[in-house]
Amino acid sequence: MLYAFLLGMIMFAYSMVINRRVTALIRSFRLQSLFLALLTLAFAYKEGSLEIYIVALLLVVLKVIGIPNYLNRLSKKINIDESLGLFMNPLLSLVAALVFTFVSVLFGTVVLRNQDPITCISFITAMTTVFIGFFIMVFRAKAITQIIGLLTMENGIFLLAVAIAGGMPFFVEIAIFFDVFICVIITGIFLYRINRLFTHIEINRLTELRG
Amino acid sequence: MMLLVYLIMLPFVAAWFSLVCRNDRARTAFSVFLYVIMAGAGVRLAYLVCTGMPVVVFGNLLRADALSAFFVVLITCISLASLIYSKGYLVHSEEGDLSPRKKSLYYFFFHIFVCAMLAAVLVDNLGHLWVAIEMTTLASTFLVGFYNNKTSVEAAWKYLIICSVGITIALLGTVLLYYNVALYGGVKSLDWSVIVSVASSLDHRLIVVAFLFILVGYGTKAGVVPMHTWLPDAHSQAMTPVSALLSGVLLKTSIYALLRFAIIVNKTLGTNFAFTVLMYAGLFSVGVASFFVLVQKDLKRLLAYSSIENVGIILFGLGLGSPLAISGALFHTFNHACAKSLLFFSAGNIVKRYKTHNMHLIQGVIQAMPFTGVAVLVGLFAIVGMPPFAIFMSKLAILTAALATKHFLLSALFLLFVALVFGALLLHLGKVVFGNKPKNIPRVPETLSVKLVFSVLIAYLVLFGFGVGFPLRLLLERAVDVVRGI
Repeated sequence: MLYAFLLGMIMFAYSMVINRRVTALIRSFRLQSLFLALLTLAFAYKEGSLEIYIVALLLVVLKVIGIPNYLNRLSKKINIDESLGLFMNPLLSLVAALVFTFVSVLFGTVVLRNQDPITCISFITAMTTVFIGFFIMVFRAKAITQIIGLLTMENGIFLLAVAIAGGMPFFVEIAIFFDVFICVIITGIFLYRINRLFTHIEINRLTELRG
Repeated sequence: MMLLVYLIMLPFVAAWFSLVCRNDRARTAFSVFLYVIMAGAGVRLAYLVCTGMPVVVFGNLLRADALSAFFVVLITCISLASLIYSKGYLVHSEEGDLSPRKKSLYYFFFHIFVCAMLAAVLVDNLGHLWVAIEMTTLASTFLVGFYNNKTSVEAAWKYLIICSVGITIALLGTVLLYYNVALYGGVKSLDWSVIVSVASSLDHRLIVVAFLFILVGYGTKAGVVPMHTWLPDAHSQAMTPVSALLSGVLLKTSIYALLRFAIIVNKTLGTNFAFTVLMYAGLFSVGVASFFVLVQKDLKRLLAYSSIENVGIILFGLGLGSPLAISGALFHTFNHACAKSLLFFSAGNIVKRYKTHNMHLIQGVIQAMPFTGVAVLVGLFAIVGMPPFAIFMSKLAILTAALATKHFLLSALFLLFVALVFGALLLHLGKVVFGNKPKNIPRVPETLSVKLVFSVLIAYLVLFGFGVGFPLRLLLERAVDVVRGI
């Protein structure tokens, strides 16, 4: 069961790099978060800990329902055109994503020694997700993708925390959720402002400040 | 001890008050009053930790040792100065008068920002530290993008995104550290004081990897080259009192976070590995920033690059690792905060009067605004490290320590870069201060509150140029012990 959820997570991480449209990217993100929530639920059941159940619930409320809906509404409101503005075509991006997985495997062999397979695969999935999140932030032009990239990186780190370290201390986890929530709201506000002032949200065309 | 709770609650109360109170005068008076109490509480805390054990409340939720107390004193003093300066600054700001609503929003975010910084240095849990540092970014983003024009919104976006990515990488490092502690340390805890006590049993390879993530993460927030790209934009576009806070205090808060992790790493490895990494990162920052200082045209960007240089100097000093170097670096932290605030405040006055950031269009400040002109001169000579001022002492301590630990090549490079900045700043700011003022600029004296802030900052820089005064010296010694893990 755990393997299936991990597979789901990494599959939607890959689908993020080949998405060409904003709505598709948001949908991929939503599904990836769903698998993360399911995975957290499975771990909560395995460890029998109430705290991880609550974390799973928060994941569903925030990252599966709340934030994707907010992003959808935002992108509709500011009326951006649908295309993401790729700096690298989907096929090449997918190759890059596979390289990330390979690097994560190498990294895992350095960092983890003699761990059970589920830990190793979780680690690889988590690191791949973090890399892909970073990749989306750098190689896509629309500002909204930077928010999604950031959230994807955070998904990877959450997986790492839940699967490997057995969940962070509860209050830390709650505080991080709170922070992510505020961060998304604020980036949304600034996205709105950028759109109003520049009439576009393409990051490579924000060039007022140099040197 | 309720002292720590007060320190975090007071700016919170001020934030609440600035939202509900519509009377400008009452709001200013009350918040200044609260900040004075806060500064007093900071000093009291410093006294307590110097004479006794670390102060702990709520079962390690908040914890203050000498290192925290040092940063608390720094934050409370500089934010008090910045708050008083804000009062005069907002009256006729660069973009004309602000509406009452915008003013109360400004103060609200200002207080939340200060609150987050104080929380960052007072929490014990490294996860909470991460949250507090992220909160500083979120609160100050509004202050960077406050004018809501193209340049400031662009700067705010860059600031928000680059720092958030950096801080996310730091979270990755924190999780790896937690994994290490849970697996090898035998405790499931992120409390710094607990981790330090089990540090020697942690896995070596894993902690090095975690530290590199932490360095990139918090290094981004501290303005370490090459992750510094947000810094000149944000510092030049922010409201001037906030620029001073960003440069004088926020960068130092990230250095504090880096230090906390470096202490753990050093204890685990039993060597100075973490410090050595900091030393090279610092020297690299000084080198790169010194060339950027040379080619600046924008007054506030110039000061921003000088901040990158000074962060580099502080990291270089900390990285040397000898007691003299560490105390010099911490002393430099304080000195730089005072000198840079003085310069930013003066720059704010200048920009308001000349209506431009471009240094080629600004001349004869000393004729147009004698008091500000003198402040710029003092700040200039202080920041480049001329003898009668405090920064000379701290730079000298760092250089002496570098020579004493036989880093001759690094010392030579350090001196070269610092000399480069010396020349560049003298060239740029000399032109700004002297020369003939343009005819259309009237000669108007500064307000009393501005003069007061400037005088106190100048007095500090001059007095501590004769050596570290007694109370601060004791605090520094204790803080050095904490950094060295004694």
